[in-house]
Amino acid sequence: MIIGIGVITFLLRFAPLALLARLQLAGWLQQALRFVPAAVMAAIIAPPLFFAVGAPNIVPDLPRMAAAALAALIAWRTRSTLLTVVLGMLALWALQALLG
Amino acid sequence: MPQVPSERAEFIDGLRAFVPMSMSILPFGLVCGAAASNAGLTTGQALAMSWVIFAGSAQIASTQLFAGGAPLLVILATATVINLRFLMYGASLAQGFGGLDRRWQAAIAYLLTDQAYALTIIRRSGSQRPAHLHWFYLGLAGATWVCWQLATIAGVLLGNLVPPSWSLDFIVPLTFIAMLVPLLGDRPMVLAAATGGGAAVLLLLPLQLNLIAAALLGVAAGMVAEKFGGGR
Repeated sequence: MIIGIGVITFLLRFAPLALLARLQLAGWLQQALRFVPAAVMAAIIAPPLFFAVGAPNIVPDLPRMAAAALAALIAWRTRSTLLTVVLGMLALWALQALLG
Repeated sequence: MPQVPSERAEFIDGLRAFVPMSMSILPFGLVCGAAASNAGLTTGQALAMSWVIFAGSAQIASTQLFAGGAPLLVILATATVINLRFLMYGASLAQGFGGLDRRWQAAIAYLLTDQAYALTIIRRSGSQRPAHLHWFYLGLAGATWVCWQLATIAGVLLGNLVPPSWSLDFIVPLTFIAMLVPLLGDRPMVLAAATGGGAAVLLLLPLQLNLIAAALLGVAAGMVAEKFGGGR
């Protein structure tokens, strides 16, 4: 599994550098690739806010959702990874203590 | 600064550019290492992930899928979709690095990360147009690599010592939020993210296929929105 992912990842990184001097990506593909980072990151962020680990049904985790929303606001205003992470964690701990 | 920056000066500038980036790479690497060892990978496997794959999002996602018992094919497909963004980065970097020899290209490719790409593009668009941009990249991406390896090792070794009640796993979505939010510059992009996130929660697919399906739906939503004049 590790080697498989490693090989795929390297090829995805290497192919455009090595080939693209000659080859031009189709327009629609370039358009699609623009959205990959945002779609992937959102898909990774969202589920743990709604599912308890391993649970099959949707149970919103309120402290996590609220802390995530606050972190998004902080990221929007400050563009700082450090502030987002630090304040987000502090918010989560505070909310967990409050909502128990 | 009139003189052309030397290779060495560029390399050092790259190292400097890395310093603020370590704030996102350190905690992410720690969490990646801890997650891998908690998912039942051996220490050797967890460390191998970091130097063979060297891609945090794909490592986290495949670790979670592995822990959830997903089949190998699903894990590989998901990692592929997550890392599709490297195609876009590579295509964009090829404009400056396409002419370098194969060994440089292989090194650049292996070291490619979201952060290295973003900072290199910013520097390229800067006014001074450095002639040795690949040395800047090497300093930046090389430092990122070293930091990532050390952080994962620390995560593997220390991850189990931290009680789960500290909720340190929450650092991962927080770092993703910090990377995602600045991307949301126009409406199609917001829609792509909202669709991807929403679908990942709502889709109840077997074999842990949600992530890959949600990502593809998000991309499709963004393209449709752009086509039908959601506009900016």
